[in-house]
Amino acid sequence: MSKVIVVKGLDANGQRISSKNYEELVQKAFAKSTRLKLETYGQHNVGGRLKSNGKKVEIEINGPCGQRLGCMGMPGTTIVCDGPASDDVGYLNIGAEITVKGDATNGVCNAMAEGKVYVGGSIGARGLTMTKWNPEHQRPELWVLGSVGDTFAEFNCGGIGVVCGIEAKNPKNILGYRPCVGMVGGWIFYRGKNDGSYDKKSVMAILPNDAQWQWLMERMPLYLKKIGRTRLLKKLSVRKEWMMLISIPPQDRALMFSGPMPMAEFKRKIWDPAFGGGDPIRDLAPGLDRSSIGMIETGDLRRRQPFWANRDKAAPCAYYCPVHIPTVDRLRLFREGKGDEAYEMLLDYTPLPASVCGHVCPNLCMQNCSRQLVDEKIDVQMLGRAARDAKLPKPAKQLGKKVAIIGGGPAGMNAAWQLAKGGVEAHIFERDQQLGGKLAQVIPWERLPKAIWDKEIKRFLSMPNITVNFGVTMTKDKFAELKKKYDHVIVAVGTHQPRTIPFPGHDMVIPALDFLKSAKSAKPPKVGKQVVIIGAGNVGCDVACEAYRLGAQEVTLVDIQKPLAFGKEKAAAEELGATFKWPVQTKEVTSEGLIDAAGQLIPAQTVIISIGDVPALKFLPDTVEVLSVGGASWIKCNTAGLTSDPKISAVGDVERPGLATNALGAGKKTAESILAGFKGEEWHDFDLQVIPQSSLTAAHYTPDSCGSSEAEEADRCMSCGTCRDCHLCETICPTQAISREKLEDKSYRYVSDPDKCIACGFCSDTCPCGIWVMRPF
Amino acid sequence: MVTVRSIPNTPSSLTTNDLPWIIEHNQDRCTLCGRCAAVCPVGTLKLAYMRKRMPHLVLSSTERGSAYKTFVGIRQSTEVSKRCIGCGSCALVCPNEAIHPIHNSIRDRFRFLNTQQGEPAKRGGRRNEPGASLLDRIIFDRISMLTDPALDAGRHEFSCNTLLGRVLPPDEYVRRKLAGEWIPPVREIFPFVIGSMSFGALSPNMWLGLLQGVAYCNEVLGIPVVMATGEGGCPPWVLRSPFLKYIILQIASGYFGWDEIIRAIPEMQCDPAAIEIKYGQGAKPGDGGLLMWFKVSKLIARLRGVPEGVDLPSPPVHQTLYSIEESVMKMIQTMSMAWDFRVPVYPKISGSTSAKSVLNNLVRNPYAAALMIDGIDGGTGAAYNVSMDATGHPIAANVRECYLDLCAQGKQNEIPIFAAGGVGKNGNVTQNGMALIMLGASGVHMGKYIMQAAAGCLGTETNRCNVCNIGLCPKGITSQNPKLYRRLDPDQVAQRVVETFMSIRTEIKKVMAPLGRSQSLPIGMSDALGIDDKDVAERLNIRYVC
Repeated sequence: MSKVIVVKGLDANGQRISSKNYEELVQKAFAKSTRLKLETYGQHNVGGRLKSNGKKVEIEINGPCGQRLGCMGMPGTTIVCDGPASDDVGYLNIGAEITVKGDATNGVCNAMAEGKVYVGGSIGARGLTMTKWNPEHQRPELWVLGSVGDTFAEFNCGGIGVVCGIEAKNPKNILGYRPCVGMVGGWIFYRGKNDGSYDKKSVMAILPNDAQWQWLMERMPLYLKKIGRTRLLKKLSVRKEWMMLISIPPQDRALMFSGPMPMAEFKRKIWDPAFGGGDPIRDLAPGLDRSSIGMIETGDLRRRQPFWANRDKAAPCAYYCPVHIPTVDRLRLFREGKGDEAYEMLLDYTPLPASVCGHVCPNLCMQNCSRQLVDEKIDVQMLGRAARDAKLPKPAKQLGKKVAIIGGGPAGMNAAWQLAKGGVEAHIFERDQQLGGKLAQVIPWERLPKAIWDKEIKRFLSMPNITVNFGVTMTKDKFAELKKKYDHVIVAVGTHQPRTIPFPGHDMVIPALDFLKSAKSAKPPKVGKQVVIIGAGNVGCDVACEAYRLGAQEVTLVDIQKPLAFGKEKAAAEELGATFKWPVQTKEVTSEGLIDAAGQLIPAQTVIISIGDVPALKFLPDTVEVLSVGGASWIKCNTAGLTSDPKISAVGDVERPGLATNALGAGKKTAESILAGFKGEEWHDFDLQVIPQSSLTAAHYTPDSCGSSEAEEADRCMSCGTCRDCHLCETICPTQAISREKLEDKSYRYVSDPDKCIACGFCSDTCPCGIWVMRPF
Repeated sequence: MVTVRSIPNTPSSLTTNDLPWIIEHNQDRCTLCGRCAAVCPVGTLKLAYMRKRMPHLVLSSTERGSAYKTFVGIRQSTEVSKRCIGCGSCALVCPNEAIHPIHNSIRDRFRFLNTQQGEPAKRGGRRNEPGASLLDRIIFDRISMLTDPALDAGRHEFSCNTLLGRVLPPDEYVRRKLAGEWIPPVREIFPFVIGSMSFGALSPNMWLGLLQGVAYCNEVLGIPVVMATGEGGCPPWVLRSPFLKYIILQIASGYFGWDEIIRAIPEMQCDPAAIEIKYGQGAKPGDGGLLMWFKVSKLIARLRGVPEGVDLPSPPVHQTLYSIEESVMKMIQTMSMAWDFRVPVYPKISGSTSAKSVLNNLVRNPYAAALMIDGIDGGTGAAYNVSMDATGHPIAANVRECYLDLCAQGKQNEIPIFAAGGVGKNGNVTQNGMALIMLGASGVHMGKYIMQAAAGCLGTETNRCNVCNIGLCPKGITSQNPKLYRRLDPDQVAQRVVETFMSIRTEIKKVMAPLGRSQSLPIGMSDALGIDDKDVAERLNIRYVC
């Protein structure tokens, strides 16, 4: 056994040697002997880094002990400190056995990985913290006789602590405040009171089991011997006085602490009861359902829903036609192979399809035809002409009523036609020797072929219930008689009185109305080579064409404002060479021609004035109110054509100047309202709105050659506002909510199942005819 | 003459590329399930039919004319009233990730046409100022490592609550206590408060979900969170519940719901946390609350004491108050008296260069419990664009000025300042809040952050969604339509509120610990703040660091 070498901590002058120098002395001494007596004087880091090499290293500390006694102590080293020690005894100890025969202060065994520290008193704060345990080595151990300070065993990763509670500095709490925070391994034996502030998430308190108790009792005698207190063995061997704190493994921790109270439990136990057990806003909104729904919903939870609004709105053709002829339906009947029904339907509306629709009318129906979005509008003229040979419709049963119609122009004719079809006797009283009013008397045959016209008149006259009296000039007395004899009287005399202007020479000027009538008669008038027409509207153009036909070579139309002529009439006149001049104000007319306000002469042998016609109303009783407009009198009517006299109606130009088509429309409307009156039914005017073009889906149609037959046109028709049974909605619906239902009267409808529909709007986006609409829900 | 085929042109015509949000639709992945069109809150998505013309152009063939092919795809409307708002509900419901909106800030022309019918542009939501805010850029740079003991945010105990109420100087407190005189009520609350968002601006599911989360934080977790009601009143059952102590009742120029509150006072189980008198809102100074008719449902009308379906634009000022002194005197005393001086009463004002004057008046008034300043970056359910964007005052300088003024008078510990306006708008809620606290605020209110964190609000600073004002909120947060707000589960909102506050609490510790503070909130600890902008540092009287 080697000799004990003493290393003094004070130098020859009694001055403290620095820790650095002292350590050098210690290491030098250690090279000579493994048994050292260190008379320290507060030097730090003493007793470590002494590698044993098989020999026992025995260090005795005698003197005021500095900090970090046994720091980095190695296995095989035994250190005994004769008195109390300072901070951090056993700091980074990797195997030394250190005995402190007294108290130690803070940080004992901090970062210790192996070895034993035996303390014969109490220790300060943060003992046994951040210890390590390498499983190939022994666990580090700290034995304390008394109590430990705050924050004991923080981050203890595997060390074992024994706190005996003898002569404790704080008997009421021998483990200090908040021990074992973050402790993940190891265990603490303790004997005495504690304040329960140990970290419940890291450790739990248990009674030592047999193996653990045995471990403690096996080592207790050695510990007590080391600190020189062997007589305490019996006192410290009472099993029931000892408890343990052991670290909770992560898996167990997960099971023990599933987090704070689940929200559902909170809701049930604390939240709902606070409001008397019900919804806190049940008084403000009784019965309000606030339960969860998703982003996509069906049924009542949709924010909009689809409607199959078939025939809810009018197609443009039906809407804009003054007679509201539903060409869209006509073409549908063709598509369905019901050609005859299609003709029947047309003749329901007008007796003159070939003449008016087919020739004379500017076809207002087609001006907004939706097919223009794809290629060309439907050729309704062709459709009209094809109806020339259509069969006569059958009239209804006789109602036993009769109506007098004064005037056999298109207005009066359609009124008669409708009444006759409805079972009422229609008696027309016409001044001229032929039916048709201006259509027959005035419009040039170039624009309305005679053959077609004759055929239609023949068909008209073959309708039962219609009687025509030609050559009747109406007077006040005759009118009164008619009013007595007939159930109702309709005035349809049109405008056959030309307007004139009383400038000098006006008596040399021929009114257009007279000229055209004469031109169409058996004895047409002669015209000069140069012709001037005052008034450049469409009638003026008709006049120009007739003038050319009758021998004129140079026709000039003059007007005080921009000419209102348009369309076919204007084109026809210009094609023949007619010219337009404006603004021209007539000062006078002489045999030379027309002299304007500037004194200029437009040479002409024939001057014709075409500035419109007004009604001749001398026969009208006083009971019928008239309106004075533009210097003339017009009959005042309501929308049904009824005048201020309940037995008298007025239709056509006499009420409001317009196209022949307008006259036809007025005649129909008035006749229907009279029929309804006879039958005791309510009459409704055409009140549908036109379908907006944006509702249609034109992309379904591809541009095509414009049809030359009714069947081809029927294929091109876009069926605005009327379902064409294409099944596209059924196909596109993503949830198969749409299906087709057959109805009792053999018709059908499409329906959307509210339980399946998610209100995506695809049906509405897809429908070519604009039937499906989405409305807010 | 405009014919059927004409393509009309109007001043308000827009193409897809002119819209603020452009829908990107991937036709290859689209399965035409219809969900996007069904869920779109503004109805901009439709199934479009398009036709492709393929002319026969092969020279060697005699076939001429064109073949046509029809195809379908989801398209968006270019009508001003139906423009895409970028909410992304379509992306949320699409099963195939085939559709989503893309922001188009560069070429957006809608911003010039958002004045249809003479009405200036309005929106809900936020100020639309993207990028890091000033508060985001403030860092905590005075780190304690060795000088003060560094603290362990995870393990050490922290006291991070704050005080709402008039704190007497110690000697005065002792004197009054001994003399049995009135001590102003003070509440210990969590320094992050759920700011005023009214029952009306928010849906019932959202408002009650927030309260449920607040109650949970208090009762289960012991975090003393409080929530302010906003202008719309408080449901009678809630007033009579034990949760009233977690609620700050707001009284504003509209006085909505106060008849119910007064009626309930004798039956209250506990006192409210505080009374907030709203004089202004940071988001839209010059306007009071703006609740439009479509959000005044039967339920809201009943609570507010107004007819259903009427617009409720509250006046910007209280109708009978014309000076600071008068406001302070009349309102604070009245509100204090209503609860026998047991409840702290404080005013809320818009940030302004004149905030100091208000504060100085409050200091002289013995009943004023705090001053709440709402900065320009605050959000709102409805505001005119120009108000939201351009009127107001940023919060940082306002708070700092006011606090330093208090310091100069030695009163900084007595009358707390609460701050709001963009706290957490970019997600950095604790950082923003702690920055304001260290500039001198005793606590902060947050609004937008809670909407985002607790309910998944879709809005962003690039003007995404932001249709709170017209009640179309696709998440059901700010709509009164049950078909929308039932999409929001109050229990899930409550859960998220709890998670948010747990996280904020941990983050507060993470900020306090390195600064060496654990026993009290570091109010006014501006020596710990730094910013990399010299001018800002000078203005805010903090350190310039780079």
